[in-house]
Amino acid sequence: MRSATVQTRMPMRLGPQPGEVIDRHRPFTFTWNGERYPAFAGDTIISALAASGERVFSRSFKYHRPRGLLTASFLDPGCVVQVNDEPNVRGSHRRVEPGMIVSAQNAWPSLRFDAKSVNRFLGRFLPPGFYYKTFIKPQRLWPAYEKVLQRFAAGGRTFPDSPHGYYDKRYAHPDIVVAGGGPAGMAAAVAAAEAGARVILVEEEYELGGHLRWGSEDELGALRELRDEVARTPGIEVLTNSVVNGRYDGNWVAILQRNLPHVEERLIKARAKVLVVAPGLIERPYVFRGNDLPGVILSTAARRLINLFAVKPGERAVVLTANADGDAAVADLERAGVEVARVEDARRGGDIIGARGRNGVRMVECGDGSRVECDLLVTATGWTAPTSLLNMAGDRPVYNPTAARFFPSRPSDDVLATGGISGDGSLDELLAHARATGQEAARRALKVGSALRAGVPRRVDVEEPPDMPPIEIPELPVVEHPELFQGRTDGIVDFSEDISSKDIVAAAKEGYDSVELMKRYTTATMGPTQGKLETVNAVAILARATGKTIEETGTTVWRPPYAPITLGALAGRNFEPVRYSPMQPWHERHGANPMVAGAWIRPEHYGDPESEARNVRENVGLIDVTPLGKLDLRGPDVPKLLNLLYVNQWNTLEVGKVRYGVMCAEDGVVLDDGVTGRLGPEHYLMTTTTSGAATVWEWIESWLQTEHPDWQVHVTPVTDAYASINIAGPKSRELLLRVAGDVDLSPEAFPYMNVRTGTVAGVEGCFMWRIGFTGELSYEVHVPAAYGLYVWEKLMDRGADLGVKPFGIQAQRILRLEKGHLIVGQDTDGLTGAYSAGLSWAIKLYKEDFIGKPELSWQSECDNSFQLVGLQPHDGSVVPPEASQIVEGENEIAGRITSSCMSPTLGRSICLGFVAPHLAEPGTSVTVLLPNGERTTARVMEYLAHFDPKGERQRG
Amino acid sequence: MSIFTNRDGSRDGHHKPAGYSAFDLFRRGLLGTQWPRAWRSHDLKPSYDVVIVGGGVHGLATAYYLAANHGITDVAVLEKGYIGGGASGRNTAIIRSNYLTPEGTRFYDRSVKLYETLAADLNFNVMFSQRGHLTLAHSDSALRTSRWRAEVNKLQGVDSEVIGPEEIKKLVPYLDTSEHARYPILGALYHPPGGIIRHDAVVWGYARGADAHGAHIHQNTEVLGIEVANGRVRGVRTNRGDVAAPVVVNCTAGWSSLISEMAGVKLPITTFPLQAAVTEPVRPFLEAVIVSGTLHVYVSQTDRGELVFGASVDPFPSYSMRGSLEFTEGLAGHVLELMPSLAKLRVLRQWAGLCDMTPDFAPIMGITPVEGFYVDVGWGTYGFKAGPVSGETMAQLIATGKTPPLIAAFDLARFAEGRLVGEKGAASVGH
Ligand SMILES: Cc1cc2nc3c(=O)[nH]c(=O)nc-3n(C[C@H](O)[C@H](O)[C@H](O)COP(=O)(O)OP(=O)(O)OC[C@H]3O[C@@H](n4cnc5c(N)ncnc54)[C@H](O)[C@@H]3O)c2cc1C
Repeated sequence: MRSATVQTRMPMRLGPQPGEVIDRHRPFTFTWNGERYPAFAGDTIISALAASGERVFSRSFKYHRPRGLLTASFLDPGCVVQVNDEPNVRGSHRRVEPGMIVSAQNAWPSLRFDAKSVNRFLGRFLPPGFYYKTFIKPQRLWPAYEKVLQRFAAGGRTFPDSPHGYYDKRYAHPDIVVAGGGPAGMAAAVAAAEAGARVILVEEEYELGGHLRWGSEDELGALRELRDEVARTPGIEVLTNSVVNGRYDGNWVAILQRNLPHVEERLIKARAKVLVVAPGLIERPYVFRGNDLPGVILSTAARRLINLFAVKPGERAVVLTANADGDAAVADLERAGVEVARVEDARRGGDIIGARGRNGVRMVECGDGSRVECDLLVTATGWTAPTSLLNMAGDRPVYNPTAARFFPSRPSDDVLATGGISGDGSLDELLAHARATGQEAARRALKVGSALRAGVPRRVDVEEPPDMPPIEIPELPVVEHPELFQGRTDGIVDFSEDISSKDIVAAAKEGYDSVELMKRYTTATMGPTQGKLETVNAVAILARATGKTIEETGTTVWRPPYAPITLGALAGRNFEPVRYSPMQPWHERHGANPMVAGAWIRPEHYGDPESEARNVRENVGLIDVTPLGKLDLRGPDVPKLLNLLYVNQWNTLEVGKVRYGVMCAEDGVVLDDGVTGRLGPEHYLMTTTTSGAATVWEWIESWLQTEHPDWQVHVTPVTDAYASINIAGPKSRELLLRVAGDVDLSPEAFPYMNVRTGTVAGVEGCFMWRIGFTGELSYEVHVPAAYGLYVWEKLMDRGADLGVKPFGIQAQRILRLEKGHLIVGQDTDGLTGAYSAGLSWAIKLYKEDFIGKPELSWQSECDNSFQLVGLQPHDGSVVPPEASQIVEGENEIAGRITSSCMSPTLGRSICLGFVAPHLAEPGTSVTVLLPNGERTTARVMEYLAHFDPKGERQRG
Repeated sequence: MSIFTNRDGSRDGHHKPAGYSAFDLFRRGLLGTQWPRAWRSHDLKPSYDVVIVGGGVHGLATAYYLAANHGITDVAVLEKGYIGGGASGRNTAIIRSNYLTPEGTRFYDRSVKLYETLAADLNFNVMFSQRGHLTLAHSDSALRTSRWRAEVNKLQGVDSEVIGPEEIKKLVPYLDTSEHARYPILGALYHPPGGIIRHDAVVWGYARGADAHGAHIHQNTEVLGIEVANGRVRGVRTNRGDVAAPVVVNCTAGWSSLISEMAGVKLPITTFPLQAAVTEPVRPFLEAVIVSGTLHVYVSQTDRGELVFGASVDPFPSYSMRGSLEFTEGLAGHVLELMPSLAKLRVLRQWAGLCDMTPDFAPIMGITPVEGFYVDVGWGTYGFKAGPVSGETMAQLIATGKTPPLIAAFDLARFAEGRLVGEKGAASVGH
């Protein structure tokens, strides 16, 4: 065991390499599993650990086998680690930083000794889906078994107090997004920009270059040249350590940017005219016994370690190669001083049968049965094309047996592919293809651009560039590659899920024999690598097990995102703005108790709701009702619209009048209510409930746009264009008189349910209507929002001697309950039809048509649903909590209390509630079951209103 | 019923499946023997007593109960893709019974009861995890509705109660229960028997059970037309040939109005996509299922450690099963409103399924104007939890010719006769 001292040497670190990305002048330390390790700036977490000789970075999900590095890239399945409070960090991608605290995720109690590793001996008893086959009986023990299963959940830790961090978003409107900054992506970006397109070039790694970065002298030279070109060419924005995360309808491209100094991550949403997909190829692991041992790595991993990070991957190696990259890896290894003990060339029949060792490879059994001692096994058995961005655009990958990989099949107008994903060939061939693709992308993008501009009226004619003929894109050759997926033995196929080839065969034999069923049953390809490493092997193994070809078997559907993306980045700044009325500063100064009401925060009360209510009955009160939904309706067909929306009649509303209206959905359920006034011949103002403001607008638009596009109606939401003040109480007219300019407020000139436009406190263009939610004489004044606070203060000031006081929502609720006015959503619910809410007086079935009419017609004949009634407990000191049930007999539900309060005006408790039809007769006594289990009785009243049922006060 | 000629004759198709138990697991592990197929594949026969269109939970459960409860085994389930490839394999698997209407509560309560013993009944662990279900209330009106549901549920013997922020915090320490939250949590409706299930396992368990009783499960078999003559259904046309059948059952959820159209039966159904997403696994930290109507989101953590998220249906009808960026953006924002410390958790995958919405948020079950053509559709965003009881009652209807009282309110005729059910209030975002 290592002592707790600082590790200072890096025994596996090589001398300087021509393409290395580390900065040897910036050494520092970080912590891995509680111990300090050295690193250079530019190291990834794993390259730094590997330089110190570490080889085990996690334990596998199911069998808790030790796992090391495999790909040395973002996908590396065994290198997922915890960094500080961040779970599931890709350790082979994330750059290590000074002082970082890194730990292994899936090990207990420690990485070297893992108690759950006994599972590896139990493997034969844990076939795929074993949990479906056991823990069945006795049923009552399942919860306990479940707890055990949960312990095996892989993954890092979250913490309830982690800070949220700062994330943001950006919109971009480039002509072209290029996904992938390898040689093809760079060349395509340059060609497109030279042709006049604005390009965003996105690269997942920390620098441009792709596979050229770990290539030969020549390739490094080509890389320098390409980087220079990119830097020189105007019109290219380069984003490194960023990834194109998804392609959605309309070429809506999501880019996750991680390279910003003060932002955790940024989501860029780009409406790309053309997306060029150039992600290169992913090297595929090979399936054989022991293929998941630390020390078994891919050829690209070996080359990355040596050339980018100057890390020697091992001391003595066996290499299985089927291609030029494998051969190049041999050369790299030798140059790095690794003894290459054996090269198995798959093109000449070479193979690997298995690897052995406890915490890493010790010995490899080669194709001819000979055994070679070594600590490193490098495989180069072929490639997988990461076609998922193309699939999100509707492409279906097609298997090509010659190249032993899938290719895109259906080109589309706005998504093009280039680079390794499209074919093989020399670097020159690849670059030629990429350049042509970039030019063609630019041609298409610019054409789309000018088509878009053509739709915009312009003052002067601008010469649009002439249409260019399509650019010919040369075909890339397809180089023959042996089909190598699984050797002669079984091994791990899905490294993150711990699924072996045996598991896949077993699943197929059990009937889970299509790709989709196999995937779901075994969970292969469902882990954090999203199938990028394992899909093709899994498909090949399934194909063999079912006697089908790979082509017939097909792949699973790739779904977004391309790479896992944080909730923080998706959410961005969490923009859920609070809405305040213009009078908010006044409310705050006057001790208002804030209350969240949907998007709004508004005064609940100013200290004493009951006295606020009393003041309205006795003097005059002001309530800020700005959040009321307000829609400005204009056009000759507004009456048609109102007749369609509301159950009542709207043809006859004269200019200057307002009317209360009820909206129902098709099922006759009350949707919203409010007052609408006619301000001019073709001009109306509709109010909705506060919570219904957005819904009603959407509702209206969907009816207008889908059913009646021919109607001439304009709907404009003006909720926050006006500040709304309700002046209520016997002295409200007197108060308004003091500030109203040109409007005659006398009862004869301005009667109940009328609207006037005029000047209030010197502010022109105010609407005033006389309505009465509180049951008192009252005026609702809608003031241009900028003057809201001024008018409010003026009213307060001028009414001081009248006893004017503000009142909040709570007082308003008391007042309206005394008056028996229902609140949609409180006294009605998602089931309440208009008849049962006592609104029969409003429903005009003789109207030709309105929303909900067929259902309401039926309800009018045979409705026996509960009825809304006024209720008063016999014991006036008992206030039954809202939602108390009205019961008959033992437990039969016969209604419920929807609203209740202690009435300051009447000095007793009052309620609204639903009762079964046979209990709706005034005078009936009903039993109320209180939530605490006690029962009380209440009397059904004649009116919904408990106070002034005839409405004399509000009409005064 | 006379049409079921070989009611007991088809026992030849009946086979006893290999038992699933820890002992069998051990035995086969030791001997290294292969497990038999969970269900077999067959040639498509030219005729069956009952043809069920759609291999989701509803179709397969109907096949299973036809055989298990009524001895009707000459049954074919026709699935155009793979079983469970529709909504049954795409849902977020929330099971609960705290509905509002008496019809709803009775019906879903029966389903939960069936789910509670399903693993044993099917000898297939469906991993029903009754971990508790919390519907958060962020406004006084939502709190009032929660109280109402609790009061009604209590009276109907369904376990649910309203709890306050402190108790919520104890159940789910990650929730931001402070007053500073944008939408402060004022309380919640807590429904301890609610929970989640392994949806695929339910599908496979029913398939295996139906197969064991002799039903044929035909995957990659698409129904292209339905033969109707003289007001009676005669059979179906498929991509693998014609099949005669006196009884055809439509269990195709998102596609159900298209299938019914083939028989000339119009359904008041509109298909909307519903999206969901899942994160990378993290250590278990979330026990209960959390639903927030105000924030249009629900969250649960699977036994594998992944968080599963869902929301409300997309705002427009479509048959597309692609996910959208707006969906994950909105979802993430809402999840972080609830649990701000999860910003660094990563979304691994998003997808969509189809939901067959009815005007009253209640299903359409039973007979149609075409004799022999039955529907079990309109499952919207909430039909997975109804799989067992729907299979049971549909099988009973087909076998006896009588509509079971449990589903009488859900008949197709209600739309013509104005008897809508109205479960909107309780179904909405809650699933
Ligand atoms: C994202 C999402 C989340 C959900 N969450 C929940 C939840 O938490 N709780 C809950 O209870 N419910 C939930 N639901 C709803 C639930 O999933 C569905 O209501 C339920 O699965 C429907 O089952 P089904 O068997 O009727 O239909 P499906 O499972 O959709 O099966 C119908 C089958 O019919 C097949 N088919 C279609 N056309 C043809 C044809 N012509 N020929 C042959 N076969 C055909 C399809 O391929 C499909 O497999 C959710 C749904 C979605 C999409």
